[in-house]
Amino acid sequence: MSGIVCAIRGGPASQPTIAQAISLAQETDLPLYFLYVVNLDFLSYTSSSRIHTISQEMHQMGEFILLAAQSTAGTQGVHAHGMVRQGKLNEEIVSLCNELEADYVVLGRPQTKDEESIFTQEKLAQFIEHIEKQAGAKVVLTESEAE
Amino acid sequence: MKKTARLRQAAFFLLVVGLALVLTNTPGQAQDAEAARLITGQVFDKQDQPVIDALVTLRAAPEAAPVSSAATQPDGRYALSIPKDLHIPDTLTIRIKRAHFQTTDIQISAAAVQELRNGQTVSLPTVTLQRRITIAFWLAALVFAGMLALMATGKLHNTLAALLGATTLFAVSYLGQPLQDSLFIFDFNGALHYIDWNVIFLIMGMMIVIAVIEGTGLFQWLAFMSYRLSGGHVWLLVAILMLLTGVVSAFLDNVTTMLLMTPITVQIALALGINPLALLVPEVMASNVVGVSTLIGTPTNILIGSYGGISFNDFLTNLTPGVLLALVGLIIYSELIYRKEFHAASTSGLSKVLLKKLAKQARITEPENLKKAGVVGAGMLILFIFGERVSLLPAVTALIGATALLVWIRPDVEEMIEAVDWTTLVFFMALFIVVGAIQEVGLISYIADGIGFLVGDNLVLAMLSVTWLSALFSTVIANIPFTAAMLPVIGYLTTTVPGAQNDVLFYCLSIGAAMGGNGSLIGASANMVTAGVSGRAGYSITYAYFFKKGFPALLITVALATIWLLIRFL
Repeated sequence: MSGIVCAIRGGPASQPTIAQAISLAQETDLPLYFLYVVNLDFLSYTSSSRIHTISQEMHQMGEFILLAAQSTAGTQGVHAHGMVRQGKLNEEIVSLCNELEADYVVLGRPQTKDEESIFTQEKLAQFIEHIEKQAGAKVVLTESEAE
Repeated sequence: MKKTARLRQAAFFLLVVGLALVLTNTPGQAQDAEAARLITGQVFDKQDQPVIDALVTLRAAPEAAPVSSAATQPDGRYALSIPKDLHIPDTLTIRIKRAHFQTTDIQISAAAVQELRNGQTVSLPTVTLQRRITIAFWLAALVFAGMLALMATGKLHNTLAALLGATTLFAVSYLGQPLQDSLFIFDFNGALHYIDWNVIFLIMGMMIVIAVIEGTGLFQWLAFMSYRLSGGHVWLLVAILMLLTGVVSAFLDNVTTMLLMTPITVQIALALGINPLALLVPEVMASNVVGVSTLIGTPTNILIGSYGGISFNDFLTNLTPGVLLALVGLIIYSELIYRKEFHAASTSGLSKVLLKKLAKQARITEPENLKKAGVVGAGMLILFIFGERVSLLPAVTALIGATALLVWIRPDVEEMIEAVDWTTLVFFMALFIVVGAIQEVGLISYIADGIGFLVGDNLVLAMLSVTWLSALFSTVIANIPFTAAMLPVIGYLTTTVPGAQNDVLFYCLSIGAAMGGNGSLIGASANMVTAGVSGRAGYSITYAYFFKKGFPALLITVALATIWLLIRFL
């Protein structure tokens, strides 16, 4: 197995990342996998008892966002798959790459100053190194905001 | 014959019981006669609230040892019994001592002393105790302010912040008092008196009911039906979604409503090709506004209803028309500010693939459970509305509904227990203790005095002050602790401001505290979860964005609701 993994969140900021992944899939003729990771950390300061139901809802929302990306890919002649996972984004990317023996990982370039994001400028280099080392996939950065 | 025999037996039984009652009552009457020498009275604070657990002692002289003592009851009454063998001196003094109040001595008049000598009961005039500011006062105020700051900044989970506050108060009271008496705030039992169990059980019961409903797919189905009903007209869709979210929020808590409505709304927006925020922000604002219309719609209403004795029907009749007026204003405002986004939808067209997916996902997943929940929900609504005729507390109705649903549906009890948000319940208990502390030390009394002084006898000024100050404060501090702290203040103003005895100021607090949540992202928990979900879809709601859209909404909705309150109560 091999392929391209593209982690997306949706929204306008993900569009260049999606476009880059589609373009790469066209160039390499590798299968494209869009990944959406459900993360419920935002519930930690509000309600903790709704995890199960909300997790299902977020899962469906993720599928929907991926379907939109797959639809975009389809219009450009690329058949893309959608994968929804739950957990920490960085761990899930590495995990999927290992499962698929992915060749490439397409990520957006960070524009956020959120210190907790794994995609802050400082942490990104470390993360790229981590993916390349742990999953053996080459990381491709786009100019857009990362997830 | 048998019938006659039974009648005779019954008559004999009644005779025996009657005799026994007479005989056993005789010594009691003798005791009453012996204990007839009583001194009774009542103790209040400056806000005319009864002072509980004050130690009242009777002395022959101010410095003499007490000859009798009693504690004031929840209504502030006390009764000192005079020992029958006590020679009553010419002068008698009553000393009233209570933490956070000045110790007060009252000289009993010569005429009252004579009455006591004659074996009569003496009723003394009501005593008003004066507050005393001690170190405990400042410490309790500091703990309360610290708790609010921790909540506002998000440095600690709300429950942890409240628990930290409560335990700090106990630590100060128990460990500080041996060092210095003035460090005492209250003991554990005293603190427990401030917990409103009606609120705790009402919230818990509703959580179980909501847990059953939320798994049925009802919200998703309703949202999709809103889209179908709108016929693809986004301006109509947003109005329907606002109305739907509002109605749901009036019966379920806003956070759950938005947690369930946001993902499906994002999907509808994406299918329509519009920015999801154009639907989500109006929805969450409608949730904050319409939740006010019922007793169970917001935690702040639950607090207000329990404290002020305001029923489900009272909220419906006194607030719903004002809330509907505010909702109409909010819908018009939302249509105006998002008109560009709505226009974009009509030009970008619909995605058939996404709409197909949406239709597939938006279905009732547990129709049997939904049917049962509907029956129980209707029963609960009837009990909420008519239960007050038999003094049925809303908490009991919620528990009846929750238990009926659990017995009928027989879900996994472990799952249902997990569905109860225990952290929220602990939050409320700890919050009641922290707010109780500032009430105990007198901070609330001083605030009440200050507001009372400012508004004087002017009801309109009082209404405007309470509504608008509550709204503005709720944009920056959590509205639940704010409301909990304001309740005794409003209770005081209700008794002192002429014309406010119809509880109008409680309704003003309800409107201000809930609608004020639209003023900023941190103003309501529902705003935060909406931002959390939409952020996970790539559409961030920033503090600045929400303030720009929400604050004008606050001004419009609170103004319209204020107009209604003025029409209704003046």
